[in-house]
Amino acid sequence: MIQFDDVRMRYATGVAALQDVTLRIESGEFVFLVGPTGSGKSTFLKLIQRIERPSSGRVIVDEIDVGALSAAEVPSLRRRLGVVFQEFKLLTDRSVADNVAFALRVTGTDPVEIAPRVHWALEVVGLAGRAADLPVRLSGGEQQRVGVARAIVNEPSLLLADEPTGNLDPEAAWEIMHLLSAVNLRGTTVVVTTHNPTLVDILRRRVVALQEGRVVRDEHRGLYTAAR
Amino acid sequence: MSIEVSTPPRADGASTRPRARHRPRPSGTRAALLGEACREAADGLRRNGLMTAAAISTIVVALAVAGGGILVSANLLHLAAILEGQVEVVAFLRDGLSATEQERVAQAVRALSSVRSAAVVSKADALRRLQRSFGTPWSVSDLLSSNPLPDSIEVRVFDARQVRVVAGMIGRVSGVEEVVFGTPVVDRLVALTSAVRSGGAVLAAVLGLASLLIIVNTIRLAVAARRQEIEIMALVGATPAFIRGPFMLEGALQGALAAALTTIVLVGGYVALAAGLSASLPFLPLLAPVTILPTVVAIVWMLGTAVGIGGSVIGLRRYLRV
Repeated sequence: MIQFDDVRMRYATGVAALQDVTLRIESGEFVFLVGPTGSGKSTFLKLIQRIERPSSGRVIVDEIDVGALSAAEVPSLRRRLGVVFQEFKLLTDRSVADNVAFALRVTGTDPVEIAPRVHWALEVVGLAGRAADLPVRLSGGEQQRVGVARAIVNEPSLLLADEPTGNLDPEAAWEIMHLLSAVNLRGTTVVVTTHNPTLVDILRRRVVALQEGRVVRDEHRGLYTAAR
Repeated sequence: MSIEVSTPPRADGASTRPRARHRPRPSGTRAALLGEACREAADGLRRNGLMTAAAISTIVVALAVAGGGILVSANLLHLAAILEGQVEVVAFLRDGLSATEQERVAQAVRALSSVRSAAVVSKADALRRLQRSFGTPWSVSDLLSSNPLPDSIEVRVFDARQVRVVAGMIGRVSGVEEVVFGTPVVDRLVALTSAVRSGGAVLAAVLGLASLLIIVNTIRLAVAARRQEIEIMALVGATPAFIRGPFMLEGALQGALAAALTTIVLVGGYVALAAGLSASLPFLPLLAPVTILPTVVAIVWMLGTAVGIGGSVIGLRRYLRV
C-alpha cells in the first residue's frame, strides 16, 4: 500500500515538483502515472524510494513513513521495492545472470539461494537461455527484460517502473507491459510512469494524471487523456 | 503474448505461497558480508583492469615523488647537521693553570647544557698541530725561544644556532680568558643550514601534498567510472557500509600495490645512488640506506593505503546520496 498525505515537494532550486498530493494505492494495484515532462511523475517515484524526502506531508509505503526513515533504515525499505529504469541501468561488463544476481548479492542474500532465484527471474522474462551473454549482445527490449528480472528477483511487494518503454520500439514495449502485468497478477503492486498513450489506452488500468505537480485526474480503468 | 510468472524456487525446497510477497531478507552475517565485500573488491579490480592499472601507475609516480622528496629532505637535514657539527668554540685558558686545573675548567664547560664535548688542548699539542699544518721540514720551535700558544679547550655544541649564548656562558667559567668561535662564518653557516632545513621541509610538504591530491583524485576518478554500479547498489537496498566496503578494499589494495612498486623503485634507486656517490663524491655524505629507507618505505605504505581508502570514501560520498 502506498499513501501520499498532502505531499509537497520543493527542490532546493525552488522548483515545486509536487503540490498537495493526496493519493492512496492499494496493494496489488496496477497504476499508470501520466503527465507531461516535469509534471512530477519521477519525483513521485523518488519519494517512494526515499531518494527524496517530501518538503511537507507524509509518504507511507507498507505502513512505513518513508520520510521519517533514518539513512540506516533506507536500505531495508528499498529491499521491499523493485525498480525498472528507462535507460535499463545494466552493468555492461557483467553477464545477464550477474546483473540479476547483483541485486541479491549486494543485499546479503544467502549465496545458495542466488542461482536458482536468478534462473527463475530470467525464465519469467524469457531470457534463461541468454544468462551468460553480456547486455551489449541483447536488443533494447531484451535489456529491459533483464531490468525487469533484476527488479523482481527479490520478490518485491512493490514494483516501480520509470518510463520503462521510453527507449523501446512498440513491440518490445508491449512485451515489457505484458511482463509487468504478469508480475502484477502475482499480487505485486505496480506503478508505471509513461508517455505512451497506446499502452495506457489498451490496458485500461488505473490512471493518475499529474500536471504541474498536482493530481488532476485519478480514474480506474482510465485512458491516457481525459475522456471528453 | 502470454506470460506467466511462476513461483520462485526456494533453496530449502519449502513450498511458497502463490502470490508474490516481499519476504524481509536477512542482512547477512558479518562474515558473509565481509567475504562478499572481498569478492566484490577482487572482481572490481579484475573487471576494471585498465582503470586499475592506470590508477596504480599514477599512484606509483605520486608516491615515488613523495618518497623522493622525503629522501632529499632528510639528506638535506643530515647535511645541515653535519655542517653545524663542525662549528667549534675555542676557550683560551688563563696562563699558568696546572693540568688538573685545566681539566677542572673543562669539566665545568662540559656541565653546560648546550655543550656536546669539550677537550683540553695543551699549548704543546697546539704547537705540534701548528707544525703539522706548515708541513715543512723546518721546526717552528727552532724559530721561537718559547711556545707562545695558550692552553685551550675545544668545545663542540649541540646546536650551532646557540653558539653565541654558549660562548658567553663559557667565557664566564673561571679560568677561561677568551672565547672565539669565528662569528661571521658561524652566522653564515647557521643561515645556510636554516635555509636548507626550511627548504627540505617545504619540499617534503609540497611533494607530499601534491602526491596526496593526485592519489585521492586518481581513486575518485576510478570510483566515478563506476557510479552506475554504486547507484544500482544503493537503489536495490545495499547498505552504505556494504557499498563502501569493496571500494575501500580496492582503494587499499591499489594503494598497497602501488606502494610495493614504489618501494622497489625507491630502494633500488637510493641504494644505487648512495653507492655511486660514496665512490665518486665521498665528501658528500648521504644518509645510509639502512638508516633512512625503512622510515621512507613505511611512510610510502601508509600514504598509499590510507590515501587509497580515503580517496575511495571521498569519491563514493556524492554517489551515495541517492
